[in-house]
Amino acid sequence: MSSEILTTDGIPLKQSLKKAERKNKIRAFLLVTPLLLFIFFTFIVPIGSMLTRSTDDSYINKIFPNTFKVYQKWDRQGLPPEEVYAAMFIEIKKASGFEIGKASTRMNYAKSGWKSMIKKSKRKFKKIGEDEGPFKDKMIEVDRKWGDPEFWLALGVMVDPKTYEYYLNSIDKRYDSEKNIIDQPENRQIYVKTWIKTFKVSILVTLFCFMLGYPIAYLLATLPLKYSNLLMICVLLPFWTSLLVRIVVWMVILQQKGVFNNLMVISGLIADENRWQLMYNQTGTIIVMTQILLPFMVLPLYSVMKTISPNYMRAALNLGASPLHAFWKIYMPNSVPGISAGGMLVFVIAIGYFITPELVGGKDGQMIGNWIGYHLKTTLNWGLSAALGGILLVVMTVLYWIYNKLVGIENIKLG
Amino acid sequence: MIKKIKIAFFSLLSLAVVSSAYADITFVSWGGAYTAAQQKGYINNWNGKVNVENYNGGLGEIKAQVEAGNVTWDVVDILPDQGVTGCDEGLFVKLDQSEFIDDMIAGPVSECVAPQIFWAYTAFYSKSAFPGKKPKTIKDFFDVKKFPGKRAIHTWANATIEMALVADGVKHKDVYKVMSTPEGIDRAFAKLDTIKDHVIFWSAGSKPLEMISSGEAVMALAYNGRIGAAILTDGKDFDYIWDATVLEQEYLAIPKGSKNEAEARKFVAHAASAESLAGVTKHITYAPMRKSALKVVQKGEPWYHTGVDVMPHVPTSKKIIKKAVIADPMWWADNGAEVSERFGAWKGN
Repeated sequence: MSSEILTTDGIPLKQSLKKAERKNKIRAFLLVTPLLLFIFFTFIVPIGSMLTRSTDDSYINKIFPNTFKVYQKWDRQGLPPEEVYAAMFIEIKKASGFEIGKASTRMNYAKSGWKSMIKKSKRKFKKIGEDEGPFKDKMIEVDRKWGDPEFWLALGVMVDPKTYEYYLNSIDKRYDSEKNIIDQPENRQIYVKTWIKTFKVSILVTLFCFMLGYPIAYLLATLPLKYSNLLMICVLLPFWTSLLVRIVVWMVILQQKGVFNNLMVISGLIADENRWQLMYNQTGTIIVMTQILLPFMVLPLYSVMKTISPNYMRAALNLGASPLHAFWKIYMPNSVPGISAGGMLVFVIAIGYFITPELVGGKDGQMIGNWIGYHLKTTLNWGLSAALGGILLVVMTVLYWIYNKLVGIENIKLG
Repeated sequence: MIKKIKIAFFSLLSLAVVSSAYADITFVSWGGAYTAAQQKGYINNWNGKVNVENYNGGLGEIKAQVEAGNVTWDVVDILPDQGVTGCDEGLFVKLDQSEFIDDMIAGPVSECVAPQIFWAYTAFYSKSAFPGKKPKTIKDFFDVKKFPGKRAIHTWANATIEMALVADGVKHKDVYKVMSTPEGIDRAFAKLDTIKDHVIFWSAGSKPLEMISSGEAVMALAYNGRIGAAILTDGKDFDYIWDATVLEQEYLAIPKGSKNEAEARKFVAHAASAESLAGVTKHITYAPMRKSALKVVQKGEPWYHTGVDVMPHVPTSKKIIKKAVIADPMWWADNGAEVSERFGAWKGN
């Protein structure tokens, strides 16, 4: 007690210091607040809302609460009993046109045909009073699809406000009416194949970028300044050129009646009728993406190589290593941070790529990003888009974790 | 709460815009040659100021404006599915349709829309690619033995399914009846299988014309207005295959809460008049949705701005529409997702 140091006001020094520091801390925090808010609203909130959307099925349960309640009691044999029909009838009548429109869109994901059936019913049910039951036959009269058990069974997947259906759809599975997980019909199985293709293309693009980019970066880092500057411009100029322009140029070069094929035919290397199909397929996608993403590999590699002192190599050669050995033992390990950064950058951008596969992908070059875009824009099935995006996010996190374990994140260097 | 934040956010956003949008009417369309034709067809002779903007379709922006209560668009050019959904969701005002409702070739799809044009997916080829016998029907398009060479089609499923069925022998008017059965869809894909190894895909509207010009493909599907412009304006030696042409509708609508609603209604009435629709046809070969507009065109031939007869290029003219299929937006709203996934699987295998 006696040892406590007091300031002149009689307050313990510790407390007084804390007070002064707190002020500083608050000030520092206020300075970063705009940034934190920015990240919160542009990064955390959208990703959070995307992830909630991917499992959310509450809307439909809000519109048809009673229908789902009586539906649960149905044994899923034949057609449901009258009370299910009655509940559905009353709830369709009660809901607004807007609510019905939105609900019918959701129901249509489970089985094609719900949309027009619900909308038609909404219109025609106006003429039938709420006391004019039983409704079963009347509803079937309005649209015979009400008498098709398939539609009623499809309703079963929507009974919970939380659902994993979108995630199942993302890997070509779905629920049956009792919420058992089953395969999608064979001719709709598209996503697993697309996932595999997306990884294949991304890995190949990263690999090709590395193979092409490493020597370029090495030259950039080691050539005398006047040459390396010129080379740098050659790397950057395409980088600054519009993406669409570059894609169109590739189309001109690679199509079957394009520059490359013409040269091959003229030089007699291939026959006129055997022109190579290098565009509007996966090959085209890989070639164009490699060219577009190349700077993302070259620039980090270059900035790391620039810091490797030429003396290391000289020393190794001086001590009797062969050039190859010296490169392998000295230069390569020193450039690993650049390889990691470039590789990660290219892979991450490639895996979510959209515009290049859309334009040159044609037959089999479309990637998962194209399906995300399709469901966002055309079918408005944002749940499925969100689930596809969610899987992409998880995959990236896992890869990042593996990478951290293997190479160590501190080994990434952009300059 | 979230809704409130959203509304606050969008009002702030639109605040920034509102100061610049002080024109009598803001007319929003797709841009390019189509909007240029609208400009020359009926905007220029409208006695008021029209501020033309472009957008990429969809209801997203309209929904944001209506929910925020700050609508800066007065008239929007929309596709039929937008016309249905937007009307259902209360994003558009109801229009007085008495003037044109009995005069329309198809539709209207809802109470909120006024007619504009049909645009069409049409097969075409370059005459020089077939010096002898020329392809005449959609059957020829699917017949790679009689007419060998690559076919260029778009990367999505719309219209291709309809065409495959007609090529397989389904009558034009029964196409959607057949498509509504699972066997019908199987049948369409079986027909598509027969040309699969001879197909290349495009996704930008200008590509099929380039592909035919360069010889990359011998026949292609494209938007008829693009083909019309290539023939009439650029003098290309292309010719249409007017069979199983798939007609898609295009409308005008007024977002609810438009600040110039009265003026916008007058403008829409003007834009949907037979003379205005015919005027668009003068500059792009999309087809007016009103029967009387066709009469205006016929009476005034040669009608196209370069001084040639335009009727042989307009997909609703009598001869052509007999063998055309009018796309059913409701069928695609129901089955679009499923068929598209299947089409994607078919493409990639």
